Amino acid sequence: MTSLKTRGFYYKLYSLLPIIILFISVLNEFDFNYLNLDYFSFNFPFILIFFFTLKEFKNFDYLLVFFAGLINDTVVGLPLGISSLSYVLICIATSYFRNITIRPSPIKDWFYFLFILSLLNSINYSILTLFFSYNLILMNYLVNTFFTFAFYIVFASLFKFYLKGIND
Amino acid sequence: MATSRDDFIIAIRSAFLKKSTQQKFSLLTLVFLSIFVIILSNLDFKVIRYLKIGINELVYRSSFVVSIPENFLKNTFIEVTDYSTFFKDYKKNRKELSELKSKNISSEITQYENKELKELINDYVSSSDKVLAKIIVDHDSPFLKSIIINKGSKDNIKIGTNIYDQSYLVGRVIEVNYKTSRVLLLSDLNSNVPVTIAPQNVQAIITGSSDNFAQIKYIKAGITDELTEKSIVYTSGTGAIFKSGIPIGKIRINESDKSKKFEVEFYSDFSQLKYVFAEIITKAELIKGNQEEDNSADKTKPIDAKLQILEDELEIIEQSNLKFKEENENLKSEIISLNNEIIRYQTEISQKQEKIKQFDIDKSELEFLRLNLEYSHKCRKSFFNVKGFSVGTEGYKKCILNKGRIND
Repeated sequence: MTSLKTRGFYYKLYSLLPIIILFISVLNEFDFNYLNLDYFSFNFPFILIFFFTLKEFKNFDYLLVFFAGLINDTVVGLPLGISSLSYVLICIATSYFRNITIRPSPIKDWFYFLFILSLLNSINYSILTLFFSYNLILMNYLVNTFFTFAFYIVFASLFKFYLKGIND
Repeated sequence: MATSRDDFIIAIRSAFLKKSTQQKFSLLTLVFLSIFVIILSNLDFKVIRYLKIGINELVYRSSFVVSIPENFLKNTFIEVTDYSTFFKDYKKNRKELSELKSKNISSEITQYENKELKELINDYVSSSDKVLAKIIVDHDSPFLKSIIINKGSKDNIKIGTNIYDQSYLVGRVIEVNYKTSRVLLLSDLNSNVPVTIAPQNVQAIITGSSDNFAQIKYIKAGITDELTEKSIVYTSGTGAIFKSGIPIGKIRINESDKSKKFEVEFYSDFSQLKYVFAEIITKAELIKGNQEEDNSADKTKPIDAKLQILEDELEIIEQSNLKFKEENENLKSEIISLNNEIIRYQTEISQKQEKIKQFDIDKSELEFLRLNLEYSHKCRKSFFNVKGFSVGTEGYKKCILNKGRIND
């Protein structure tokens, strides 16, 4: 009885791991910025949310994603709600993509991710510059989009091991 | 055609409205909620403000705790890099320290004078108190350059409070919570600082560049030619956002084929900040103070005030005199030691000259002896050589050095 309970607890913890990583990454802004490489940055939460809302949406609570966005805004210093909107829009995009896809393929996912990423970064950039008069460097956004796109395939292959574990 | 449109609408509706397993809210609700939060966070209601402060406090603390492992890695990386350049830095620092020590005296005198003049032209005396603050969150985002410090409204931090690294300006506070504050760094694109460029006395505004340097903006055309790489940039105090006279950095000229760019290299490295100073300024108005004094004292107060200023001035002059005396003493002792050294060198030189002279004599004698062995039979007077010279005479010596008689 006890062992079943323990197993249940570990399974629950394992299933919540993506959400926990999401919260750690938004609180920590996991992006290797201290390496001081020119322009280098990538958006790990985007990769994580896109992958898990596409593949494992049942354990990925949208409300928690919304809260993660609020935390990210507070940490980065952006107007409250901007990241939440971006994260929720990713959820909508993946939900739509899931509905229209009959035969999923990693390459399709990857390029759809690029499209969504470009769209979201454009929306972010437009809102911040037009409504909040922020001065931002467009090049930073472009490079961030590129690296996030490039790293997606790496992280996606790592996350697949997690999915394999949860399905087994 | 109609079917595909229907499919699209169904997929969209499903994406927006369908509450999947374990989802408490539909995505459409969350989109509206996000937009509502964006609008609400920009309204300055008291309740929202307090709520925001609460969220900030909680999130900053959590971020600090969560960042501990990454900060550990980051610090290890920086320490390893530091060790590799340790000796080079040490030598450079020693040289700089000796230079700075000599400059410090004149700088202190200028500070005294500056303080006195400021008191004379202002209607208030500002007394500042620097509070040490720890940086709890510094993510060095490529988009926004800001840091979170562990001092807030509880410690009298206000929006606009100047933040320093030692005595160099690093930014100003843009958001204050109860125990934490957000500091906008000078390197942020949204940071604009009115500055004076010395010694040319040029007024300008510098803007962050998202990197560890700033760009000079709003400068009169033609003036830039006067700027050199030795020019120093400090706050001008225009607009009363920053205090005047705070050092920021020095000019760096970036020359390319077609253009010449002027940038400001910050004295402080913002990526290495761990602790900063927040300057809490309290203004005490002189007029009010004088009025209070008037109530308790007689009407001779203006004269007293002038006397006070003169006394202060005297004190400053005395202090500067003392410093000059000290410097003179040091210079005197240095001159004496240098003179001793000169005398020592002079005796050494004369000894060496003597040695050289002796060496030359020895050399010529040796040469004569060598030739004597070879040509003595040609120069010595004998039965067969009647025209020769007696040994030891001047003629004999000349004959030997000429390698025999000239007629032979």
